[in-house]
Amino acid sequence: MTAVAEKLEMRSERWRGLLASPQFASLAILVIVLAAFSAVNPNFLSPLNISNMMAFLPELGIMALAMTLLLTAGEFDLSVGAVFALGPVIVMLLAQTAGIDIGVALLIGLLVCIAIGAINGLIVTKIGISSFLVTLSMLLIVRGAALYITQGFPLKSWDQPGVFVTLLAGSFDLGPFKLYVSLWWFIALTLLCAYILNYAKLGNWISAIGSNRNAAVARGVPADAVKIWLFIFTSVLAGLAGMISAFRISAASPVAGTGYELEVIAMVVVGGTALTGGRGTILGTVVGAFMLRAIRNGIVLIGVPGLAFNIFVGAIILVMLVLHALIQKRSAWR
Amino acid sequence: MTAEVLRLERIRKSFGSVNALKNASMTLKEGEVVALVGDNGAGKSTLIKAISGVHPIDGGEIFMHGRKVAITSARDAIDLGIETIHQDTSLAPDLSIARNLFLGREPVKLSFLGVLAPLDFTELRSSASALLKRVGISKKLDADATVNTLSGGERQSIAISRAMQFAAKVIILDEPTNNLGVEETHGVLRFVKEVRAAGHTVLFITHNIHHVFEVADRIIVMRRGEIVAERTVADTDLLTVESLIMGADMSKLLRDKQVH
Ligand SMILES: Nc1ncnc2c1ncn2[C@@H]1O[C@H](COP(=O)(O)OP(=O)(O)OP(=O)(O)O)[C@@H](O)[C@H]1O
Ligand SMILES: [Mg+2]
Repeated sequence: MTAVAEKLEMRSERWRGLLASPQFASLAILVIVLAAFSAVNPNFLSPLNISNMMAFLPELGIMALAMTLLLTAGEFDLSVGAVFALGPVIVMLLAQTAGIDIGVALLIGLLVCIAIGAINGLIVTKIGISSFLVTLSMLLIVRGAALYITQGFPLKSWDQPGVFVTLLAGSFDLGPFKLYVSLWWFIALTLLCAYILNYAKLGNWISAIGSNRNAAVARGVPADAVKIWLFIFTSVLAGLAGMISAFRISAASPVAGTGYELEVIAMVVVGGTALTGGRGTILGTVVGAFMLRAIRNGIVLIGVPGLAFNIFVGAIILVMLVLHALIQKRSAWR
Repeated sequence: MTAEVLRLERIRKSFGSVNALKNASMTLKEGEVVALVGDNGAGKSTLIKAISGVHPIDGGEIFMHGRKVAITSARDAIDLGIETIHQDTSLAPDLSIARNLFLGREPVKLSFLGVLAPLDFTELRSSASALLKRVGISKKLDADATVNTLSGGERQSIAISRAMQFAAKVIILDEPTNNLGVEETHGVLRFVKEVRAAGHTVLFITHNIHHVFEVADRIIVMRRGEIVAERTVADTDLLTVESLIMGADMSKLLRDKQVH
């Protein structure tokens, strides 16, 4: 009798916990936003428009996944938007101008991304400069490099179909939807990151480092190494997202991804991950990514003038953050 | 005659021009509670950070059970059986109690996956609950609750029980009763006694001389990076220890005052 009651109580407590969780709040708002847009303009949920949103979603979403892990560990990376541009630019220059095999060019692009992440991570952890300053400088260096080596002109991308193009930016039809292979990348990486953060030993370390670095170090957790690897992971995924985008639109531009760093961080924090580290949610980030893409897309469709965009986006982000803060406060009172 | 567990010989450590430790030597024996006292900046925290691998030492030698050891990282110290509860809190507040208890020593399945190995949640929860029960934390605590919902005293108890759980030979507490209420302080002191009863050696840093006399067997006094005195609790008194800490003969000071 009491055991049953206890079980029921536990179950209802778990539900209450879920309802009060930051992910759920984001999800609820996402549903409201979607419903509002489609009420104003039914085209919002048309197969064409959904396909459209799904084409963009993985590119920013993939970066947001890595950023979630990095933020949970208490650091962040402002250079992702620039790496998003530099990766494809290097690959295309090597493959087209220098005539190097595309596979080798991709490998070199990957190594450059690894190097950028490693430099970010090493300076942040070993020299002890805040990741804000380090990656802000890196943003300038990387963006500058992309502009310089292209002399500011976009490169025509690899448009001959090949295994890499198919792998990264192939498309397929699913009923009335035209979808890109990049969606699979996004799904696979989402599962990987969710597994790491919630179920793996590494995830426990990442959260602990972001929550109280000294405590984690005192328990023998290799905090610096974990952070360096997360910086590398973030740069590599930014490069991957850039490649996907470049292959999809068949062009590598040195100014691609400008401003993406803030958009990506917004996706992550709107989803409920704490900017101060320690608390991260991949599910929340996926919801946040959907939300920001849907908002950007929906705002056009409901006829908000293009120049007024950011007013709405900024306002919605603010509302979300206030909501998360209130939920956090309430659960602290409990 | 009890066996020696940890011995430090002529430990030196400086931060730039600050000589935080100058030739500090001490010996800890099995099953005793040693209080390490000294004024602010005397070098107490630095000494225990040296033992726990947070700040590798500049010179000197460390022996564990008479065998010379090198401690260059927190991992080394933990592997040798030295568990430390630092002054600046040892827990990650955003993590659950269970995850904190096993931080750095997570039970996993498929351990060949290394850091990507999945946590064994069943084991994690059951060991955590068992441990919480064993250490007799009075209030019923949920192993899944995050640490930031706990009181300061509960946090200290969790940190201490974590140290006990891995059967550490030496447990070091850096001002564990700081910021605690009366009842919580007594909880921690009771805990220290239990830890000793279970056969662990405890090194206990505090500014509260009354606590020293309540739980310690022996007192080590530090001043300006050096160990200046050692007394067994039975052979000394509060006033003597206070004057040793200050480096002045208190009773003499008092007498001088009366003359004037
Ligand atoms: N990381 C550091 N860098 C530079 N100086 C340090 C560092 N840590 C400690 N010190 C210096 O070393 C000396 C000893 O400090 P320590 O923290 O060991 O003192 P303590 O005895 O623990 O004092 P308290 O009782 O106030 O905690 C002080 O002069 C302090 O300023
Ligand atoms: Mg101290």
